[in-house]
Amino acid sequence: MSAILEVHDVRKSYRLGGISVSALSGISFNVMKGEFLTIFGPSGSGKSTLLHLLGGLDRPDAGKILIDGSDILELGDDDLAQLRLTKIGFVFQFFNLLPRLTALENVELPLVIAGLSERETQERARKMLKFVGLETREKHRPHELSGGEQQRVAIARALITNPAIILADEPTGNLDTKTGREIVQLMKSLNEEKKQTFIVVTHDPQIAQEAHRTVHLKDGLIETISENSPQARNQ
Amino acid sequence: MMRVSKILEMAAANLKQRKLRTSLTTLGVIIGITTIIGIASLGEGFRFEIKQRMQSGFELNVLIVFPGSLTAGFGEPFTRSELDNIRNISNVNLATGMKTLASAEVYKENGTRLRALTVAGVNFSEMQQMLPKRFIVAAGNFPSENDTNTIVLGFRAGTNNSIPVVDVGENVTVSASFQVNGTKFTHNETLTVAGILVEGGTAGITNFDYWAFIPSEKAAEMAGGESYQIILIQINDTQKASQTAREVENTFTNPYRVSVFVPSSFEQQVDNILNLLQIFLTAIGAISLLVAGIGIMNIMTVSVMERTREVGILKAIGAKSRTVLSMFLAEAITIGIIGGLIGIVTGYGVSYGLASMLSSFIQPQQQNTLFSAPEREPLVITPKFTLEWTIGAFIFAIIICIIFGLYPARKASKLNPVEALRYE
Repeated sequence: MSAILEVHDVRKSYRLGGISVSALSGISFNVMKGEFLTIFGPSGSGKSTLLHLLGGLDRPDAGKILIDGSDILELGDDDLAQLRLTKIGFVFQFFNLLPRLTALENVELPLVIAGLSERETQERARKMLKFVGLETREKHRPHELSGGEQQRVAIARALITNPAIILADEPTGNLDTKTGREIVQLMKSLNEEKKQTFIVVTHDPQIAQEAHRTVHLKDGLIETISENSPQARNQ
Repeated sequence: MMRVSKILEMAAANLKQRKLRTSLTTLGVIIGITTIIGIASLGEGFRFEIKQRMQSGFELNVLIVFPGSLTAGFGEPFTRSELDNIRNISNVNLATGMKTLASAEVYKENGTRLRALTVAGVNFSEMQQMLPKRFIVAAGNFPSENDTNTIVLGFRAGTNNSIPVVDVGENVTVSASFQVNGTKFTHNETLTVAGILVEGGTAGITNFDYWAFIPSEKAAEMAGGESYQIILIQINDTQKASQTAREVENTFTNPYRVSVFVPSSFEQQVDNILNLLQIFLTAIGAISLLVAGIGIMNIMTVSVMERTREVGILKAIGAKSRTVLSMFLAEAITIGIIGGLIGIVTGYGVSYGLASMLSSFIQPQQQNTLFSAPEREPLVITPKFTLEWTIGAFIFAIIICIIFGLYPARKASKLNPVEALRYE
């Protein structure tokens, strides 16, 4: 297996009220193609910051991040946007659907931004909604959907461009345990069927061990990277 | 790149979402465009009306030459050779002299005085050629060359309230008095009415309603020989009117000897003044549109703040800054288009309302001076809509919306996606 994502000694700090706070202080790891990886750690450990960097939403202060071979530090804003559009799918804790748009329109959005024809965007979005089991909800707006349904819509939106990597930031953090499990199962099956790479940030140890590997993060540094046994994964 | 149709569709959906806010913002643009279109079309109508009146009051190809100047006072009448010099100027097609008889009065045989305020000796055939649209008889005929004992009366000199007081063929007495060395002489002459001119109507230098015309030979006989108080010049090329006027002045050695009135340059001046007035008033309209633009900027800035998270989402899923910019700008442009279109329609409506209001304010003035006859028709201003103003105002509305929408739209497009996503 080849690495789809390479992280070399990445550092990132924020200015908070005039004080520089280090969020990541030298992180290196690789993610293999088709891997299901979790980034685990307590809040404030730098998980979300790391995920934003991996998704090209932000640039590191130092170090190197190669997404499918291209160095995000060398890309301009437009190229980075293009990379997010074509190679990356985001799933957020608070779903981040556009409230004004229907489920179908939300799923369509990345393709609309890409400039595809209406016929194609709708056709593909319907297929995707069906895939996540929401074919009967396409006309509903986010506030008419349950949390789990909203997250499914968000996953459908993340998947619609058929990206190489899907990044999820606490995708179950805003869901009850049962629904959370369903979402994790959905992601796992997508990973197995479509061989898409999943990187999931979580502070839930239960979810963390569902992955092939888990990156344990603490205070902006990697503690360990653990391999999870198949038995643990299938619990 | 995102399709333009989709960008506009989403902009429209976003604006619909906030109906009250959108309508109030659009109202600003509507008021601005209404003001501009209303004033402009009213101004165009006013200009048209004034021009038309000027053209019916003056022949633009006729220059009027007076002896003397404003600074040196009236001078001696022109001589025959001075008239001939003018005739030799290349752009001059025709030049004819008018000899006005000072304090001449015209009486009917029964002693009734006619309302002929000016009596002038003219060459009738030259006058007809000079002013073919004005120097026309309503009754009778112009006298022939040898027929020197005749008179032609202006419309009001021969009628009273449109009822003829003198018949063609009737005899009238012209009484011209003048002073020589302090002694007053009076020369009476009985002439036959050959014709009565058509009504001049509107005011103008060549309105002859209160005039009476006699053959120039007769005038010379009655008052001190051949000389002219007025020379009318018909020119071939109206464009060269001012140049010809200068050439006329140059035929005289003393510049104070002559004044040339150029109706076309007068018209030009009036046109310039109207232009300035219109620009000034339109500028007021433009200012109101500017205020509308600030309203757009204000509302859009608020809107961008409210939708910070949305911008973050759009960017996270791969929208370029350019795309976000055009999405917000499309909203501003949509407001401009809708406001502009409605404003054009209401502007037309308002200009009609204003026109009828103004028209009822401006009542015809009653005056009986030498040159101006009482107005027969009230001034009616009809708004004139020009394609230039309509398109211009519409484009201006959109430009204003773009300019003022650009700042908030740029602000949205420059948002950092991570911070935008964190925004509550």
